[in-house]
Amino acid sequence: MLSIDPIRAVPTAKTSPAPAHITARSISVDFRHDGIVQRVLSGIDLDVARGSFVSLIGPSGCGKSTLLKVMAGLLTPSEGTVQVGGLAPGEAARRHMIGLVFQEATLLPWKTALENAAFLLTVGGRATPRDVALDRAMAMLRLVKLEAAANKLPSQLSGGMRQRVAIARALALDPEVLLMDEPFGALDAITREEMSRGLLEIWDRTGKTIVLVTHSIDEAVFLSREVHVMATGPARIIETLPVDLPDRRDEETFNLPAFGRAEAHLRHLLIQSHGGDGA
Amino acid sequence: MTAIDQATMRPRAVARGVWRRRIRHAGAEVLPPLALLLAVIALWELAIRLLKVSAFVVPAPSGIAVALVEKWPMLLDASRITAVEIFTGFVLSAVVGVAVALTIVRFERFGRALYPLVVLFQTVPKVALAPIFILWFGYDLAPKVVLIVVIAFFPVAIDMMHGLQSVEPGFIALMRSVGARRSEILLRVQIPYSLPHLMAGLKVAVTLSVIGAIVGEFAGASAGLGYVIQLASNQLDTGLVFAALLAVSILGLAFYYAIELAERLLVPWSSKYDPLHRS
Repeated sequence: MLSIDPIRAVPTAKTSPAPAHITARSISVDFRHDGIVQRVLSGIDLDVARGSFVSLIGPSGCGKSTLLKVMAGLLTPSEGTVQVGGLAPGEAARRHMIGLVFQEATLLPWKTALENAAFLLTVGGRATPRDVALDRAMAMLRLVKLEAAANKLPSQLSGGMRQRVAIARALALDPEVLLMDEPFGALDAITREEMSRGLLEIWDRTGKTIVLVTHSIDEAVFLSREVHVMATGPARIIETLPVDLPDRRDEETFNLPAFGRAEAHLRHLLIQSHGGDGA
Repeated sequence: MTAIDQATMRPRAVARGVWRRRIRHAGAEVLPPLALLLAVIALWELAIRLLKVSAFVVPAPSGIAVALVEKWPMLLDASRITAVEIFTGFVLSAVVGVAVALTIVRFERFGRALYPLVVLFQTVPKVALAPIFILWFGYDLAPKVVLIVVIAFFPVAIDMMHGLQSVEPGFIALMRSVGARRSEILLRVQIPYSLPHLMAGLKVAVTLSVIGAIVGEFAGASAGLGYVIQLASNQLDTGLVFAALLAVSILGLAFYYAIELAERLLVPWSSKYDPLHRS
């Protein structure tokens, strides 16, 4: 059982007046395999304030990616409702209100970094002319500091660079919300940190609402303003932790006592939920 | 002073060095197989002379050369006819193979019905159909082309199908989420993705097309290299048989490398792109 205060409501002055940008109410998701129904998400409630940066953290199989897919409109929940900016997620995505980044960059191998970043702008009902799309994509490549590699093919880029193209592709839609599913999961430790700092800079400059799925405690604490801890069996949110750190974050942030406390607290929660699962 | 090459703005000695290196590189690739081939031919000639093998059984390379020179106009004529059969049959195989693959992938439900039938058809020994095709379509081009198509469309269909299905599901989900139409996904993502696979299928198909043409001519023809081979072996003109075989091989090689050239022009990115290490 949880001995630590489960901080459900977020009482900080920064978030309370802003209306929630993403709201999830009693979300449940069932998967069916050969007639066996498995509940992968159970009664999830979640509010994400406009312009905030939140993380979903938990052990693998806790349904955090599933929850992100529901918010992205890629998956329809079996029960409950989700709204992004007051719209159903599928409609919000069609209106380019949602940018998506996965663990794999999923770039088209025959297109340059620039063309890849522009690609989503050129399909669907809201397709823009090619030159407009390329202009926007170039601006986004500048934002992720990749303008020098604009004309390179994905095979000529490193893993971190490919992932930055994927982020530029998501940002090129000019979405209100950026949903990221372990975007740095396949990168080495040094590149991860670099990318994390870059992402914070982007967040600073664009003011997007960012939801990050990660299994890295460090990453969650360093990046977000609020961490939602998920546990398995049944998959649910067990705690919402506001991160009490200065807005400006850099290498020094890792040495702050508050960082250590938040990290220790999350580790404790995750170990507990993990142990409880096995018992 | 170093002389500067005006075209490349590099010191002449360096520019010359690049070419020298390229030629040496090409030489290193061509020379070993060429040397081995010459050695085999020399050994062959030597063995026939020393063992006094009858020219009716196995001709010496010199005997084949004589036949090649003496029957040159006739061989050239036969090669032209066979080449037309191979080319027509191959192009139609490619068209049919691509159409089958697109049908199976685009119309999923119909595809599920069609695919097993295509595989079932592949297990029919198609060579045995040659006499029937002669019966149905006469002695000219048509029966050979039909035989080639039924033999050679299969690898094209299977490889193209796998290519169309090799796009990461995450990327297709991403396109769908921004409202991309199915035709857009097919034309702009799936088909380009499938091109390297298609090229692999075409290379197999072109070698099968050569076999199909020769088998077709064996079954009934009044011209072509297969006809020459059959005629010459009936007359125990083994030298001519081998000369015609040589012509068949050269035709096959020419077609094969034409496809390889097309591959380099059409999908220059595919050599750099390794689906196994895609990320």
